[in-house]
Amino acid sequence: MAKTYQEINEKIAKGEAVVVTAEEVIDIVKKRGVKEAADYVDVVTTATFGPMCSSGAFLNFGHSDPPIRMAEITLNGVVASGGLAAVDTYLGATQPSNDRGIEYGGAHVINDLIAGKEVHLVAKSPGTDCYPRKEIDTWVTLADLNEAYLFNPRNCYQNYNAAINTSSKRIYTYMGILQPNMGNITYSTAGELSPLLNDPLLKTIGMGTRIFLGGAQGYVSWMGTQFNTACERDEKGYPTTPGATLALIGNMKEMNPAYIRGAVYEKYGTSMFVGVGIPIPILNEEMMSFVSVENKDLHTNVLDYSVSKGGHPTLKKVSYAELRSGSVDINGKIIKTSPMSSLKVAREIALELNHWIKKGKFFLQEPIQTFPIGNALKGLEIKEGESR
Amino acid sequence: MITKKILLSFPKVATGKPMAMELIKTYNLDFSILKALIDDNIKGTLLLEIRGEANDLNAGIVFLRENQIGVKEVQSMVVVDEKKCISCGACTAVCAVNALEMDENWSLIHHEDKCLECMLCVKACPMRAIHAVM
Repeated sequence: MAKTYQEINEKIAKGEAVVVTAEEVIDIVKKRGVKEAADYVDVVTTATFGPMCSSGAFLNFGHSDPPIRMAEITLNGVVASGGLAAVDTYLGATQPSNDRGIEYGGAHVINDLIAGKEVHLVAKSPGTDCYPRKEIDTWVTLADLNEAYLFNPRNCYQNYNAAINTSSKRIYTYMGILQPNMGNITYSTAGELSPLLNDPLLKTIGMGTRIFLGGAQGYVSWMGTQFNTACERDEKGYPTTPGATLALIGNMKEMNPAYIRGAVYEKYGTSMFVGVGIPIPILNEEMMSFVSVENKDLHTNVLDYSVSKGGHPTLKKVSYAELRSGSVDINGKIIKTSPMSSLKVAREIALELNHWIKKGKFFLQEPIQTFPIGNALKGLEIKEGESR
Repeated sequence: MITKKILLSFPKVATGKPMAMELIKTYNLDFSILKALIDDNIKGTLLLEIRGEANDLNAGIVFLRENQIGVKEVQSMVVVDEKKCISCGACTAVCAVNALEMDENWSLIHHEDKCLECMLCVKACPMRAIHAVM
């Protein structure tokens, strides 16, 4: 029997909702079948905790006396945008610091703010009639700021390729260190626990969906950048290439520093581990069928990161069960596989979201607008000529 | 005959003394210097792989401590800070001998005795949770 968002929320309010994680639901469906399981389970929690470069924070510092229109801004030596109003800024997660480079970047400043630490704010301005101050040098904490919210333009990649290196030199990538001569394979996913792999056609995840973001209740605010729903799919609809993405928003003042962590990828740059949990309402048998997917049925391509021109070539299509097994056979060579995103912390997040729902602290929000299916990705053409 | 890997830290007062010679002459110990960082009159650290009879080895360690030298037995050249580690697995990708590997719950485990000291994990860790002991 089909359920509505409202019916599920009423059950949550009464403390009667049946909530399980996307890993736990697999056995439930095996034992009871899709139909009975769809009646029994109300919400399935999914989660991921991986490096997501396209992340950052909007901050408002409040006005000093006399006021300044901040044009050049640094926070702990990390440049933040001076391209907004007087005391607004956007701090990008991957921006390296002026003194420590990629070892300490925007993501680390965001983590320090969430952890309640004082952050060194330095700003300069040419000075204007209404904003006469030309320099400011002070220390701020998250509590001092008027607003501080994460706005991540691209998180939660639905699927992502695995990486290998066929060259004779070690390479340093955002997929970790890849050893020469196909020495290792890395992959980055929560697989069967991953949010968008449990709702492959985005039937319940859309603009306005309430989520767990960094320990706070946040929202899906838009489709993520490089949103590709015209991607390759298997016969059931699960993407076998990167696929959809989400833009996420949430209040930093309610976040937990354990779930938003600065990261450094050697000879690549700074990134940020973002903890995301998304509840999937079991509205009908179709949704139950989607969330019962297992790693053995989810696939991705192993791409050669040593070749950049014309895209990374594909060496092999593999299942997440194979990647999780610890090794994959490519042309007769047994190659070690290693994860890049933390399944351990993703499981903690799925359980925490589960507890929030069971305790009646978190209610489902039906999307205000669903995202388009069939949205293709464009590249960037290099056009000749200085003026046009 | 036993072998131990020990990390010695020399405070300012103990630099310049011929400690290594004493270990060989008086305590019949044999050792290889794996790594040394010594500034005369400031401080020093020395990583030794030390071999000898158990009694001699213990007596040698007592002798070093009596001379204000810090002695710490180490298994591996790297230490994983469990408070910082998020068990992402990035270090396991470069550990050729599986001294760093994921357990059945996808939590990182460190088999210190397997470490071959290539130190690549230090660079691979995005949390910078892995440090060299010296």
